Amino acid sequence: MHSVSDPRPGRGRTAVRTARVVGLVALVALVAAFPSLAPDSFILSVGVVIASYAVLATSWNFVGGFTGYISLGHAAYSGLGGYATALLILRADVNPWLALALGGLIVAALAVPIGIASLRVRGASFVIVSIALVLILLLVFQSWGSFTGGSNGLRVPRPFGDDVLRPEQHERFFYLHAALLAVLLLCWWAIDRSRFGMGLKAIREDEDKAQSLGVPTFAYKLVVFVVSAFFTAIGGGMYALWFGYLDPIFQFSILVGSYMVLMSLLGGIRSLFGPLLGAVIVGYAMEFFKAQYGDTQAHLIAMGALLALVVLFMPDGIIPALGNLVNRFRPKAASIRELTAEELTVQREQQEVRG
Amino acid sequence: MTTTITRGLETTGLAKSFGGVHAVDNATVAFHHGKVNALIGPNGSGKTTFFNCVTGMIKPDAGSVSYRGEDITGRPPHRIARAGIGRSFQLCRVFPRMTVLENLLASVRSPTLPGWLRSARQRGDIERARELLMRVGIDHLEHAEARDLSYGQQKLLELAGVLMTDPETIMLDEPAGGVNPALLDRIANLVRALNAEGKTFLIVEHNMDLVMSLSDHVVVFDRGAPIAEGSPDEVRADPRVLEAYLGS
Repeated sequence: MHSVSDPRPGRGRTAVRTARVVGLVALVALVAAFPSLAPDSFILSVGVVIASYAVLATSWNFVGGFTGYISLGHAAYSGLGGYATALLILRADVNPWLALALGGLIVAALAVPIGIASLRVRGASFVIVSIALVLILLLVFQSWGSFTGGSNGLRVPRPFGDDVLRPEQHERFFYLHAALLAVLLLCWWAIDRSRFGMGLKAIREDEDKAQSLGVPTFAYKLVVFVVSAFFTAIGGGMYALWFGYLDPIFQFSILVGSYMVLMSLLGGIRSLFGPLLGAVIVGYAMEFFKAQYGDTQAHLIAMGALLALVVLFMPDGIIPALGNLVNRFRPKAASIRELTAEELTVQREQQEVRG
Repeated sequence: MTTTITRGLETTGLAKSFGGVHAVDNATVAFHHGKVNALIGPNGSGKTTFFNCVTGMIKPDAGSVSYRGEDITGRPPHRIARAGIGRSFQLCRVFPRMTVLENLLASVRSPTLPGWLRSARQRGDIERARELLMRVGIDHLEHAEARDLSYGQQKLLELAGVLMTDPETIMLDEPAGGVNPALLDRIANLVRALNAEGKTFLIVEHNMDLVMSLSDHVVVFDRGAPIAEGSPDEVRADPRVLEAYLGS
């Protein structure tokens, strides 16, 4: 299991590694301290919402980031996860946490045929198929009122007893979401460095080429798609347990899927922490705009403007853009090496022409 | 005229149409295993479609493809690759936003599911990749992103990437296209050396100097099917070939 890391100049590499560790520790400390820092219950609930967005966006990024298949319909899996969890509790009297896990597994099983059908098409066609699924589910869950509660919605029993008060609920769910997010990030990181991940990234870069090199592209796509659907469903189920109420119009909404995409693109889909950063920015901005403009649609206009700015000025997302900025101020060792490499090529080319 | 010792890549009655255009039309070809084969023909004669049918990128309408006696018709490209046939693409395709080294590591697979999660940077794989990069002469660029390479360097990278899968037969679609003379020499020498090590080549090419100097066996395509084949000298003297190229 020896692995060789990139031999960039030693000093720079240690500095980067130290910065990463410090950053990670700071992030964990911030998350751990957030509930006690939050001035009131409302801010705490905003924290839970943002954590939930981060879970969903990071789950989405298993497909979007690795394979480059942009699913606008991931709300299908979060919605199904939420409903599966709720219905298992209500109709089958399953323990809430077991229901959450079972819900994830059911959605993962459903994602297999859905993936087989939808991953055959690429690019814009895949986007359309993913949207179609959400719209179908919206209609089904609205119409099948006797089972799903229909447009009246579904009240989800709280997993913690009634004696646990609101702020306490928020705090527990904040930590639960944070723990789930930690698991997701660990999985994404593990895939990112693996052979599987390398094959997936090859698919993102050039699927035909990857296949011609022997990468079993369809199997790879399907596996990561099912993993993504599973985590998205767990995220949706967790949200349902916290929020306590499900309505098809919000669960199976194109908007929810679009937020996952927007957040991931904003932070950077090639970066481990990209979707998390995007979720914090978009989630905070949304609550801010809602607070400013009340219950109007103005926050959507602001979101649209944000997306346009990102696409225009940071097409790769914030984290890669920041990375480039930092690289510019780093010790120049790296760029000198590139220079010598170029010179080397020229030298070789000249030698060959002479010889 | 020719004796095929080992059965290599063969097609029988291969056909593929796009609408009313018969791109490949009843093509029956047996390439010489262990040799450098060239596939030539005027533009639009169906060489690339033939290539794509053989490598599984396109499913043929009719006919069959066999490799070493085994029927591989209509198999998905990754399984054809696994059968030992590697290919390059016309106009060169690499993974632009991966480093040169990662371009080679991307094709390393694990047969078992747990193996999928092993680090992609196994020492053995990296050493093999570096050897191949050194062989094609771009080892000093291993940390550069592929998109930052010159076109010629990308061509070498693509070749190294194909070699990483350790194919028995290597199909190159226009290896000389857009390449300067020095680099062309390097590519030709690589093909010769690899052939001497036992690799079979199938090269689609328009550069006649390269074809004539490099290949042992030439197949000439016109209107989707072979019209002549033989040694470079035989083909050069064939009136049907001249007619196909100069037009009627």
